[in-house]
Amino acid sequence: MTNESGKEPGEAARRRFREEALPHLDDAYSLARWLAGNRTDAEDIVQDACLRALQASPERRVENPRAWLLTVVRNAAYNWFAKNRPAALVLAGGAEDVETRAGATAPSAPAPDAALIEAADRRAVNEAIEALPLPFKETLIMREANGLSYREISEATGVPIGTVMSRLARARAMLIEKLGASS
Amino acid sequence: MTHDDESLDLLLNALLDGELDAKGALEVERQIAQDPALAERYVRMAALRKALAAHIGSEAAPEGLRRRIAALAEPLERPARQKRDWRGYGSAIAATALLTLGLQHFVEVATAPDAAVEAIVFAHMRGQISGQPTDVASTDRHTVKPWLAGKLPVATIVVDLASEGFPLVGGRIDIIEGLAAPTLVYKRRAHLISVTELGKTSRDFGKEPRMQTLDGYPVVAWSMEGRGLVAVSDLAPAELLSFAELFRTAAGKELPGAAKQP
Repeated sequence: MTNESGKEPGEAARRRFREEALPHLDDAYSLARWLAGNRTDAEDIVQDACLRALQASPERRVENPRAWLLTVVRNAAYNWFAKNRPAALVLAGGAEDVETRAGATAPSAPAPDAALIEAADRRAVNEAIEALPLPFKETLIMREANGLSYREISEATGVPIGTVMSRLARARAMLIEKLGASS
Repeated sequence: MTHDDESLDLLLNALLDGELDAKGALEVERQIAQDPALAERYVRMAALRKALAAHIGSEAAPEGLRRRIAALAEPLERPARQKRDWRGYGSAIAATALLTLGLQHFVEVATAPDAAVEAIVFAHMRGQISGQPTDVASTDRHTVKPWLAGKLPVATIVVDLASEGFPLVGGRIDIIEGLAAPTLVYKRRAHLISVTELGKTSRDFGKEPRMQTLDGYPVVAWSMEGRGLVAVSDLAPAELLSFAELFRTAAGKELPGAAKQP
């Protein structure tokens, strides 16, 4: 999908964007910030996503504007990756094939401590999330920061609900292991 | 359904996320009750959820970005009739706007807090402290609305914002300045939002939702169709403001006096 330069979005498209997309700008920015890992790139991604959203045909009724905007942001982020960080996408592709079940703690390892997990500070939480492979990270963020349902995440990321569930379970298992291990 | 470890893990996650229906949730809860190791796993997941809720909430978009994005979608042109005036008086209007904004801000700072707004914030705090934020607990507006209607003379606006990420939790009745005022309670992650509706006699807050802070709580108030609406929460101010915008848009479609969508 390309932006046709010089084609200004019409009044209807603008009004619709103001009413349906603009109220969810914080959600969009949060998602972009987690995917990109920093604020500057997040702003670029959101701006790009909003341009795309504005170009969308205003005739089509969107069932759920918030989930739709987040989907556009997610796709804009992947486009941005392809241009600026192709290596990140190569790594993301292989995440699902990792055979080691993270979080399935071996019997010898001590079980992570729930109190320790709950007391994790912001820096530890950020680091643990940043270390997640991209497919797991985006699923976790859409669920925990944006509050999307499984079905909405499945539509936004273009994978079946079963995949969303297993990604989410594995993302959480990885975080539990990281945050619950007394360092 | 296989009960191997992996699918059980998915079910635990689905229970945590509120994605199971009553029957499914009951089954998983029973399994948790019978198996201490499983219970321990679930406790760890809940602990993780708490840590995440504390540290990765939605982050407010930077003001500069918000302005740029809003500018992208500004209305194209004013009607020709107004255009000439606009060009002629542009700078004067801008100056007036600035002055008004400055004055508004000044007035906001200088006036004592509105007694009704203060009472609404206290009611919200009381609901949070008591752990009983609602008199009627239901995520279904078709349950909450009739319940309120049975106790009040005027129908309350109840909108469904679940798909926008603000599911309804229920409703209650607060006493504001000696009058019964219906209050809806919505949820955002671990935060509760109270929206209190003041009747026809209430003051005019203006059409645009406006933000103020009271006792550290962000409060957004606006008026529509002769009703005053006041939303309060411990959310980030920007998030509460988006909630108010969404509520106002949805309420506008519900109210009898609302203009029909073309």
